[in-house]
Amino acid sequence: MKEFMMIFVGADYTDQNLSPEELQTQMGKWFAWNDKMTQAGIVSHGNALTPQIRRVTGANRTVTDLTSAEVKEIVGGYYIVKAQDFDAVQKIAEDYPDYDLGGTVEIREIMIFDR
Amino acid sequence: MEPKLIDHLFRYHSGKMVSVLTRIFGLKHLDIIEDAVQDTFIKASISWRNKPPDYPEAWLTQAAKNRVLDIFRKLKTEQKHFPNINQGTDTIAINELFLDTEIEDAQLSMIFTACHPKLDPKDRISFALKTVSGFSIKEISSALLTKEDTIKKRLLRARKTIRQSQLKFQTPIGKELSIRLESVLDVLYLIFNEGFHSNQKEKLIHKELCGEAIRLCQMLLKNKLTKTPEAYALCALMYFHSARLDTKTNAENMLLDLKTQDRSQWYVPLIKLGHAMMNKAVETSEFSRYHYEAAIASEHLKVSCFEDTNWDNILHWYQCLNTLQPMPAHLLTMAVICIQNKDYNKAKDYFDRLNPENLAQRSYLYYAAKADYFTVLNNANEAITYIDLAINRVTNLQEKDYLLKKKSLILSTSLD
Repeated sequence: MKEFMMIFVGADYTDQNLSPEELQTQMGKWFAWNDKMTQAGIVSHGNALTPQIRRVTGANRTVTDLTSAEVKEIVGGYYIVKAQDFDAVQKIAEDYPDYDLGGTVEIREIMIFDR
Repeated sequence: MEPKLIDHLFRYHSGKMVSVLTRIFGLKHLDIIEDAVQDTFIKASISWRNKPPDYPEAWLTQAAKNRVLDIFRKLKTEQKHFPNINQGTDTIAINELFLDTEIEDAQLSMIFTACHPKLDPKDRISFALKTVSGFSIKEISSALLTKEDTIKKRLLRARKTIRQSQLKFQTPIGKELSIRLESVLDVLYLIFNEGFHSNQKEKLIHKELCGEAIRLCQMLLKNKLTKTPEAYALCALMYFHSARLDTKTNAENMLLDLKTQDRSQWYVPLIKLGHAMMNKAVETSEFSRYHYEAAIASEHLKVSCFEDTNWDNILHWYQCLNTLQPMPAHLLTMAVICIQNKDYNKAKDYFDRLNPENLAQRSYLYYAAKADYFTVLNNANEAITYIDLAINRVTNLQEKDYLLKKKSLILSTSLD
């Protein structure tokens, strides 16, 4: 078994004008997805990220505070899952609830450095 | 399994939060309040993803209380002279405002504000759905089949009227109460009808709107000032109609009339609820149009097949209704009832009293009824003339299909 990170990009709820009803529906889909992964014992952990960003960049360590409005594609959260290979994670990622809201899932394998 | 949340929890709580916060900060800060509430639900929907709280409702109420402090801070920085919040006593006072009865009180005040006679009748519905019911502009626009921009304009205009007329956020008392309550019932009735007789081309029935109208009516019936016979009658009417909501269309979304609806599918618990409401509604002898309309609806629910319909009773209720509130639509219905009753002379009387132009976009119903009239009189030529007039005027696709079927039926029988 390998470990993978599913990174959720885009689909920022703050600028989607979602109604309370739509937010609840969307959340229900996340419940179901999380449930499915937990039952299968594949999710090790995950988090959602707030839309505030502090960016430190360059040799001068220039600091900028950004919000989701100023960044095109913001990382909204991630899950770490155990799976056989990329294909298996791709299968898991099919249930990601926010594709309709313009979201993207990026799958990355967690590096194990063998000597 | 994670606990499943109550259906519409967010939407219902959004209405509660907006009402309570408006009571604290006043209608003039509605913009800030709605933004804060929206923000709360966005945050909840994200942070609950992996594990919802054990008591979601308590969580949301606490969040609303926290918003009170947020908004205080925000207003304080905007307006220097804004009063300070006194940590000790004011916090207790705020907690009291979040008791269930106080929340219901605030929601009632919001309903009365939304249905205030100073507001344009069209603005009332949009404003009520947004502020009391927690629908988004997009949802209101699709429910009412109106452009989003138009809904936005209505909401802006409603707020402007509220500001300019300096409407008070409270439930009216004394003489004013009955006048204002009439306007509230009228709005609920319109919301229900938007759902029940939806004129949409694709989706025929908007259950959500019907359910919401009933929920708001139940709120009125929980309060001793607003649980009037008229409110009970309206609630009965809505329950009676809702009982056959699912049978109005078939699996292909085709419109079914009372003759072809599957009566075994009518939902009995709702009919029972309707009767319970009706019993409360007739405790005084003063009857409103809701009483008569509920009586008519219940006549249909009473019998197990269309042929058993008691048309004499129904005609009587329509006559009462038309005396109380004369309308061309009632005359048309009475004409149709007389056809059912095979009293063709009387049907002709009612038709003669009608000018189809007064029915506006519903004039096709007049022409369709006249087509029926000539069909039963075996005058196929006239029947075809009128059914064509009806087909040319109808806009709803399902109803058009229904009329086209009727036409081919007339054509096939006239050839026999």
